[in-house]
Amino acid sequence: MSDRAPGIGGDLPVTSNPSRWNSDVMQRRVARRYASERRFRRIGLFAVALSAGFLAFLLLSMVINGARGFTQTEIKLTVNFPSIAAGVTPAALSAKGGDEALSGLDLEGLAASEATAAYGENGAALLSDGAWLTLRDAIKSDPTLITRKGEMWVPASVEIDAAAKGRGDTANTRLVAQLKTNGQIKTGLNKTFFTSSDSTDPTVVGIWGAFKGTLLTMLVTALLAFPVGTLAALYLEEYAPRNRWTDLIEVSINNLAAVPSIIFGLLGLAVFLNFFHMPRSAPIVGGLTLALMTMPVIVIASRNAIKAVPPSIRDGALAMGASPVQVVFHHVLPLAMPGILTGTIIGMARALGETAPLIMIGMRAFISSPPTSFTEPATVLPVQIFLWSDEVSSGFVEKTSAAIIVLLVFLMTMNATAIYLRNHFERRW
Amino acid sequence: MPLSMIAVIVLALGAIAFAAARSKARLFKPVGTERLHSRPNYHAAHMLLWVVVPALIFVAMWSFVAPRLINQSILTSPAASELPPPGIERDAVLNEIRDLATGKLEVSFNPAAEQLAPVYRDARDHYTILGGIAAALLAYAGGGYAWTRLRREFRARNRVERAVMVVLVAASLIAIFTTFGIVISLLFESLLFFQKVSPAEFFFSLEWSPQTAMRADQVGSSGAFGAVPLFWGTIFIGAIIAMIVAIPLGLMSAIYLTQYARPRFRAWMKPLLEMLAGVPTVVYGYFAALTVAPAIRDAATWAGIPGASSESALAAGVVMGVMIIPFVSSMADDSLAAVPQAMKDGSLALGATPSETIRRVLVPAALPGVVGGVLLAVSRAIGETMIVVMAAGMAANLTLNPFATVTTVTTQIVALLTGDQEFDSAKTLAAFALGLTLLIVTLILNIIALRVVKKYREAYE
Repeated sequence: MSDRAPGIGGDLPVTSNPSRWNSDVMQRRVARRYASERRFRRIGLFAVALSAGFLAFLLLSMVINGARGFTQTEIKLTVNFPSIAAGVTPAALSAKGGDEALSGLDLEGLAASEATAAYGENGAALLSDGAWLTLRDAIKSDPTLITRKGEMWVPASVEIDAAAKGRGDTANTRLVAQLKTNGQIKTGLNKTFFTSSDSTDPTVVGIWGAFKGTLLTMLVTALLAFPVGTLAALYLEEYAPRNRWTDLIEVSINNLAAVPSIIFGLLGLAVFLNFFHMPRSAPIVGGLTLALMTMPVIVIASRNAIKAVPPSIRDGALAMGASPVQVVFHHVLPLAMPGILTGTIIGMARALGETAPLIMIGMRAFISSPPTSFTEPATVLPVQIFLWSDEVSSGFVEKTSAAIIVLLVFLMTMNATAIYLRNHFERRW
Repeated sequence: MPLSMIAVIVLALGAIAFAAARSKARLFKPVGTERLHSRPNYHAAHMLLWVVVPALIFVAMWSFVAPRLINQSILTSPAASELPPPGIERDAVLNEIRDLATGKLEVSFNPAAEQLAPVYRDARDHYTILGGIAAALLAYAGGGYAWTRLRREFRARNRVERAVMVVLVAASLIAIFTTFGIVISLLFESLLFFQKVSPAEFFFSLEWSPQTAMRADQVGSSGAFGAVPLFWGTIFIGAIIAMIVAIPLGLMSAIYLTQYARPRFRAWMKPLLEMLAGVPTVVYGYFAALTVAPAIRDAATWAGIPGASSESALAAGVVMGVMIIPFVSSMADDSLAAVPQAMKDGSLALGATPSETIRRVLVPAALPGVVGGVLLAVSRAIGETMIVVMAAGMAANLTLNPFATVTTVTTQIVALLTGDQEFDSAKTLAAFALGLTLLIVTLILNIIALRVVKKYREAYE
C-alpha cells in the first residue's frame, strides 16, 4: 500500500493510516472477530442440536413409557367352572341365546373366589377388574370348558403389573418375586391391546375399536378429498379462465389451508350435526369434516404437480387431434399422478393425526365395542389417546404411550411412502 | 337402507345401458370418406349419464322428502291422537317409533310408539316402493332418450366432455362453499350470541366465567363472558412464549443448515427437523402434560416462585414453540436463499467473516421474509388446540407469571362444546363467537404475512 491513493482526487496528497496487520491491536481485533465467528457457528449448531434433541427426547420418552404398554402381566388361575354352571350346558351356550346364558353366570365372583382360594385373603386384589373377561372369552371359544376345571392366565391388577415391570412398591415387588418362583406369574405380549376396545380398566383396554374408527373415518376422507381435490386442481390449472370467480376460488382454497383445524370442527358441528342432523360421533361426519380440511392441501399439492408437466406434452397431444379433455385425462393427469398421490398421502397423514375437529363433533364418546358401520358412534386413535391421557389410573400412562407409538408408526409409514413415491416415480423434465 | 338399494339398482341399470350402447356403437361404420366422430366408449358414457344422473338426483331428493312423508302418514293415522303436542316430546316418540321399526330398540317406553311402529313400517315400505318405481321410470326415460340419439353421426364425445367440465367446476366450487359454510355458520351463531351478550362485554370485559344458570333462582351463576383473559392467554402462550422458543431456534437452525452445514449433514437434518411438524398435536399435548409441565412446576417450586401450577403457561408455550420450529426455520430458509448471491459475495469480498455477512447483510436483507414466516407461525400457534387443551389450564387469569395457569380461546371452545349442552344457550354460542374471532385474527395474520413475503420477493426478482 502506498501513501497516495491512486486516481481519485488527482495529485492531491492523501494521508492515510494503513492498517498494520501485524500490530497487537489488529491481531487482537482479528482474533476477536474469528472468535465471534466460531461462537456464532457454534450457536447455530447448538440450535440444530437442541431442536433435534427435543424430537429425540419426545420419541424416546414415548418409546420408554410405551414399550411397557405392549406387555401385560398375567397370573395363573385354576378355575373350577362347574361350581357356578348351575345347569348351564355347553350345548346351551353354543345355541342361540348363549350369550345371555353366559352373562347370567357369575364369572366375576368366580374369578375372585378362585383367586382367594389360590393366593390367600388378598388374592382377588392380584387380579385385574377385567380378569373375568378372559374367562368369558375362553368359554365363548370353547363352551365345553363349563363342565371341567380349567387352568387359565388372567391379567394381573395395575399394581402387580407395575411391580412385575420393576416399578412397583416393595410389598408388591416381593409378592411378584414369590409368585415368579412358583411359576404362577408371567409377563408377555399384550394381545388384548390389539384386539379389544376402550374400557375403564387399563389392564384390558385395547386400540382395536379406535383403530377401526380411524380406518372408517379415513376411508370417507380419502374417498371425498382425493377426487374432489384432484378435479378442482385440474380445473384451476388447466381450464379455468382468469376472472373474478377463479380468483375467488383460489383465495378460498389458500385461506382454507390456513384456517385452524378447530374451526372445521365448529363447521362440522353447526352444519353436519345441527343443520343436516347427521348422527353424532359417527365416522361419516368425522370423515366429511376432515375431508373439507384436507382438500385444500391436496388441491395445492396437485396444482404444483400438474404445473410441473411440461407444456410440450399438451401441445403434442393437441397436435395429434386430442380434445382438451382427452389431453388432460389421457396425458397430463397420469404424468402428474405421483405428485398428486404424494400430496394426498401427506394431507391424509395430517388428517390422521388430527384431534380437535373430531372432538367438536362428538367423537370423544366412550366406545367399548368397535364400530361396524359409518353411522355408528366411533372414536379415532388420536382422540383415544386424548381420552386415555385424561384418565386418573396410573395404568393408563403406558397404554397412552403405546397407542402413541402405534399412531406414530402409521404416520411414519405414510410419510415414508410419500417420500418413496416422490423419489421413484416423479419425473424431472 | 332401502334407498341405497335403489341407488345400487340404478347403477346396475346404468352398467347394462353402458354395455348395450357400447356394443351398438361398435357396429357403426363410416360412410364414404367420412370419419366417425365419437368412439364407442363415448356413446356408451353418454348413455350411462342419461340413465344414472337423473335417477340418482331423484333418489337423493327422495331421501330428504321421504322421512317427512312418513312422519306425515304417522301423524294422520288414527292411533296418533295420543301423541303429545308438537315439540321435543313428540320428536322423542317419533325417534322411538323409528328405532322400534328398524329393530334398533326391542322394547318401547311409550305405549303409543308400540302401536305406531307397524304404521311406520307400512309407510316406509310404501314410500320406498314408490320412490323405487319413480327412480326406475326416470332411468328408463333417460335411457330411452339417449338411445334415440345413439346414431353414427351423433357427437357423443362433446356431450360427455361437457358433463366432465361440469363435474370439474363443481369440484372447485366446493372450496367456495366450504368457506361460505364456515363464515355463515360462525357468523350466524355469533350474532345469536351477541343478542344475549353485548359485543362490548365480550371484547372488553375482564371476567370470564361462562356458567349459565340451570334454574332461574340459582346463586352465583350469572355467567360472565368477558373474553379478554382468553385473548391474553392465547397471545401469552402462542405469540410470546412459543415465539421466544421458536424464533431463535428456528432462525439459527436455518442459518446453520443453509450457510455452514455440509450438504450431507443438511440432507439428514432438514427432514429430521421437519418431522417435528409432522408429530400429531395430541402427542405434543400428552408430552407437555406428562413430562414438561411437572418438571417446570417442580423447578418453579424449588426456586420459590409463587403461583406455580402444574398447568402452566410456560409448559404449553415451550412445547408449542418446539412444534413451530420447523415453520420458522423453513420460512427463514426460503428467504435466506432468495437473497441475491451478489450481496453475500460483496460482503465477503470486503473482508467480512461469514458470521458478519450473515448478521449484517443476509438477515437484514431477508428480514421481511422472516417476519412473514413468524406471522404465519403465530397464526398457526394461536389456532393450535390440543397442546393447550391438555397442558394449559381452564382458569381465566390475566397474569404475566408464566408459571401460573392461563386459558386460551381454543381451550375454551373445546370446554364450552363438550358435555351435554342445549344448543342455543349463551354458553355454547360463546364458542362460536370465540371461533369467529379466532378465524378473523388468523386470516388477517395470514394476509399480512403473505403480503409482506410477496413484496419482499418482488424486491429481489
